Amino acid sequence: MKHALSIFAFTILVSAFYWYVSLWVPQKRTEPPEDIAIGQNLSTEEMVAIGEEIVAGKGTCLTCHTMGESGTGLRFPDLGNIGALAGSRVEGQTDVYYLAASMYDPNEYVVPGFVAGMPAVARPPIALTDDEILTVIAYLQSLGGTPTVTMATELQWQGQNEGTAQAAATVAAGANRDGETLFTAYLCNTCHTLDGTPLAGPSLQGVGERLSQAELYESVLNPDATVTEGFAPGVMGALLTATGFHEQVSAQELQSLIEYLSGL
Amino acid sequence: MYCVAVRWTRHYDEIVSEDDMSMTRPRRATAWRAFTVGLLVVVAMALFGEPAMASPQEADPEYRTLPFVSSRVVMWIIAELHLMFAAFVLAVPMFAVIIEYIGYKTGDKRFDQLAYDFTKLLSVSFSFTATLGALLTFALIVLYPALTKYLVKIFSWTFLPYVLLFFFEAVFLYAYYYGWGKFSPRVHLFLGIMLNLVGTAIMFIANAWLTFMNTPSGIDEMGNLTSLWDAINNYIWMPINIHRLIANMAFGGAIGAAYGAYKFLGAKTLKEKAHYDWMGYIGIFIAICALLPLPFAGYWLGVEIYAYDQSLGITLMGGTFSWLFIVQAVLIGNLFLAANYYLWLSMGRIAGAERYRHLIKYLLAVITLCFIVWATPHSLVATVEEARAMGGSHHPILNVLGVMSAKNTAVNLLILTTYVSFLLYRRANKEATVSWAKTGNLVQFGIFAVVVIFVVFLGVLGYFVDAQTRIGLSQPQVYSVLFAMVSVTVIDIFLFRGANTRGSIEWGKIPARAQYALFFLAITFAWLMGLMGYVRAGMRQHWHVYGVIRDTSVDAFTPTLGFAGMIVSITVIIFFLFIAVVFYLTGLAGKKNYEAPEKSGRRRFRRAKKANTQVPAGSAAPDAS
Amino acid sequence: MNLLPLLLIVALLVAIRFATVRWLPLNRLAWLAIWWVAIYAGLATGIDPPLPSSIIVLFMAIVSLALVAYLSADSDELTSAIKAVNTFIVEPRFRIGLIIVAVAVPALTAFKVYSDLSSPPQPPSSGRTIHPPPPASINVSGQTVNLATATNPYRELEHSDQAAFAEHVANGRRIYFENCFYCHGDNMQGAGMFAHGYDPIPANFNDPTTIAMLQESYLFWRIAKGAPGLPSESTPWSSAMPAWEEFLTDEEMWDVIIFLYEFTGYEPRAQGMPH
Repeated sequence: MKHALSIFAFTILVSAFYWYVSLWVPQKRTEPPEDIAIGQNLSTEEMVAIGEEIVAGKGTCLTCHTMGESGTGLRFPDLGNIGALAGSRVEGQTDVYYLAASMYDPNEYVVPGFVAGMPAVARPPIALTDDEILTVIAYLQSLGGTPTVTMATELQWQGQNEGTAQAAATVAAGANRDGETLFTAYLCNTCHTLDGTPLAGPSLQGVGERLSQAELYESVLNPDATVTEGFAPGVMGALLTATGFHEQVSAQELQSLIEYLSGL
Repeated sequence: MYCVAVRWTRHYDEIVSEDDMSMTRPRRATAWRAFTVGLLVVVAMALFGEPAMASPQEADPEYRTLPFVSSRVVMWIIAELHLMFAAFVLAVPMFAVIIEYIGYKTGDKRFDQLAYDFTKLLSVSFSFTATLGALLTFALIVLYPALTKYLVKIFSWTFLPYVLLFFFEAVFLYAYYYGWGKFSPRVHLFLGIMLNLVGTAIMFIANAWLTFMNTPSGIDEMGNLTSLWDAINNYIWMPINIHRLIANMAFGGAIGAAYGAYKFLGAKTLKEKAHYDWMGYIGIFIAICALLPLPFAGYWLGVEIYAYDQSLGITLMGGTFSWLFIVQAVLIGNLFLAANYYLWLSMGRIAGAERYRHLIKYLLAVITLCFIVWATPHSLVATVEEARAMGGSHHPILNVLGVMSAKNTAVNLLILTTYVSFLLYRRANKEATVSWAKTGNLVQFGIFAVVVIFVVFLGVLGYFVDAQTRIGLSQPQVYSVLFAMVSVTVIDIFLFRGANTRGSIEWGKIPARAQYALFFLAITFAWLMGLMGYVRAGMRQHWHVYGVIRDTSVDAFTPTLGFAGMIVSITVIIFFLFIAVVFYLTGLAGKKNYEAPEKSGRRRFRRAKKANTQVPAGSAAPDAS
Repeated sequence: MNLLPLLLIVALLVAIRFATVRWLPLNRLAWLAIWWVAIYAGLATGIDPPLPSSIIVLFMAIVSLALVAYLSADSDELTSAIKAVNTFIVEPRFRIGLIIVAVAVPALTAFKVYSDLSSPPQPPSSGRTIHPPPPASINVSGQTVNLATATNPYRELEHSDQAAFAEHVANGRRIYFENCFYCHGDNMQGAGMFAHGYDPIPANFNDPTTIAMLQESYLFWRIAKGAPGLPSESTPWSSAMPAWEEFLTDEEMWDVIIFLYEFTGYEPRAQGMPH
């Protein structure tokens, strides 16, 4: 019996030794590639969870919008209590309709005191799908309210963006667009005007005379290197990162964009 | 029949889904009843395969989960345990028949007894294997219903021969075991050979299922079956068959040796000690012989994996798993070290062996050096400062050791060194009397010298030629090592014909730590098997069936090596607990009969009986051979 | 190799050997301890550039195993070694030595902890995968390239049309020196003028473990997709390699691959061969 026990102890010892060896080498856990497929029968909690992820990630909403901040310094409406407010923002419209409208066609209703400037998130480059927008609505409703939307909810805008999303994608792949097209394609015009009115970003009127090409490159590729007085640093950089600008823009496109800007 | 199966499956879904909501104790009991029921389902499906699965209304879940443990870990441990037992059960008949045949040819009763000793381990192990296999099937159906459904759809027609063969396996196995000494030797040997053939066929069928998951063939893009034979005969089916056949032999030998060691340590008499010392020696001899060709079978397997899909191959050899092969190198290095260690200690029981003692340190130096070369990783773990000092992520000197050329050379030299240890062991008590003894020794030495120089030369040459040629170089290395071993053995046999002996081998005169070395070898073999099982399954990454069925469960990630090592360790410990039960139950047969203590009249009878049964006839201590 | 320390270690070993034969016979245990220290000193000081500490630990673990095996492979030696240890612990004449050992062990441990903590903080060592598995196919300039089967379209010219091949080599040379050489260097050793700012440093193509063991399709993937195309185990965020498909045409990339092999003298690995 004694030797059986010591053999068993020996077995544990040797196994533990090999376990130690396997711990000694670099540890790497490989995750499977992520799918953003959204099923058709999600529970409300699941929708809220996915929506929250999209708001912080792909949707890039938090680049401009704040969560639970108040005061006068806000550039865009705060979303902290949007679930409670959405139903009463526009007379006679449900909160679901209002939230959906703000995403598909953001400039239809602009909250008083704010400047119109939000891009339609259903269109490229953010290009949320209809399903994703439903989950975002669920999440926004949950902020101070109760989500009523389901994956089966039908909205009047659904389906209309598919064609455009496709088209935009093919155009993006096909290069050789001139700087002016690119200026709108990459949504620069959302924040920058060409007529001297500052929006979220400074106007680019006459920017070609103020900045050299190298400086223009720098302002696009590393916007925080020099920030125009009176504007918040970090906003443009975050927005470009969030929309995937640096991943999408090709070297040729960047060049023509800069040439366009230096001619302004 | 198949309606019944469907009904049960449904019933079962209800149970399990309820269970998920609230896992209370009475419910658990229901779940366990369902486990038993599931066994029936397994049989039903094995027999009637396809129809039982194709019920369109049934909205099967893709996965079911267990409380507390992840499904994958449960599957992993069960499958590995089943595999280890199966390997053992398939391997033992192979060498039992060979040993029995040697006994039959030489008329030496000891071999017959030894073969019987090995076979005694079989019957309990066979039941364990079958039970674990049923548990595995069952776990598959419960935890991975969608995957199981797909595999059943593809392989339904292989189940019938599988079950039939299993039936025959049982018949032959018990006929071989219970029929020991009851048949004429030829008939008995025939039974043994049939047992081996049937066992091998069973393994081939099971291998088809699992190799299909790695390198699926015979299906169209939608995953529908186009050719069953192509699905069976997929890229790595044959390599895995051969690889497992050899590896089973090594593993079975090591477990057999562990049994010898276990009995040796518990032995009371010198006679018993002698017998089990000898058994351990034979077991490990088989294991090492089988271990030597294993790297080459593994190499073929690797080639086929690359041929199927390059990224599968690079995931295996170059990606995250490249570190796994460093762990493997440590295991195999330990195998060689322990095997040599055992041989050196074994020389203690031979008079005259002290003449060769001084050589051990040189052998050890070579083994250590080869071990170090083999375990040198290609990509190093280095801090930034260290990397800068090295001028990159590769070290200029270690780099030379981390590649194929160096490692092949190291393995070949390891094999050769182990062979030299064995040669020294063999001639420990002999003194050649033939007239050409001196020349013979010189020729042997010359062959070794030439082969070592040749192997090292090819290894060095590998750095200066292109990849294609370099891969080709490993073959002459192997052949020259084989040539050296064969030719030196032949010379040795003639050299020591009619040799003087300095004394016989005193079986049983060996320190206990040599027996622990045998255990160490058995554990290392088991661990190695577990590790390689992990990489075979792990290289599919997030696929159940590579490129066809994706793993969408929570366990789709590939775990860290440390985690895998923990699971392998746990599996190995459970396996040896089971093996302890096997050893114990096998030992019962030799125990004295139970007596009621108060009847003094029968005690006399018992004593008489004890004298009859204590030491099996023919287990007399073998002497030098 | 640092010959001086290595020679010194060997000389010391020889000296101890003669000294012990003469005056103070050492038992095997002591000898093994001396060997252990000598091998450690050799590994730690005798190799230039110094080995990473992880490798020294690995090697010393193997050496320790081997030495333990050696000691216990001979029953007589083992017994005498155990006896020597017993004597050392029990007998009063070794009392001072015992005290020294009893103090030295924790002191050495403390010193190790101290020296580890007082060295400047370093980023943790990383097990970056140098040659990760390539994807099955990639998309370059609108076309899908199957990496398992793709071959260099100009490679066949090497045998069929020497002159045309030479043109491709020349073109590859031009491209290399216009684009690649700033980092990979003028002799492809990964030591270009910008190389010193990077971690990981640029690949050294003369190293037999880089392009010599890879297929041309693999190089095409690495050049076309650059660092952004690496999988996460290869830390795409730390590599500075650009995705050259933005700047070069397919032909230019294949040409530069030809030039890499021509310049270094390596042959690309054939399709379908394992490591």
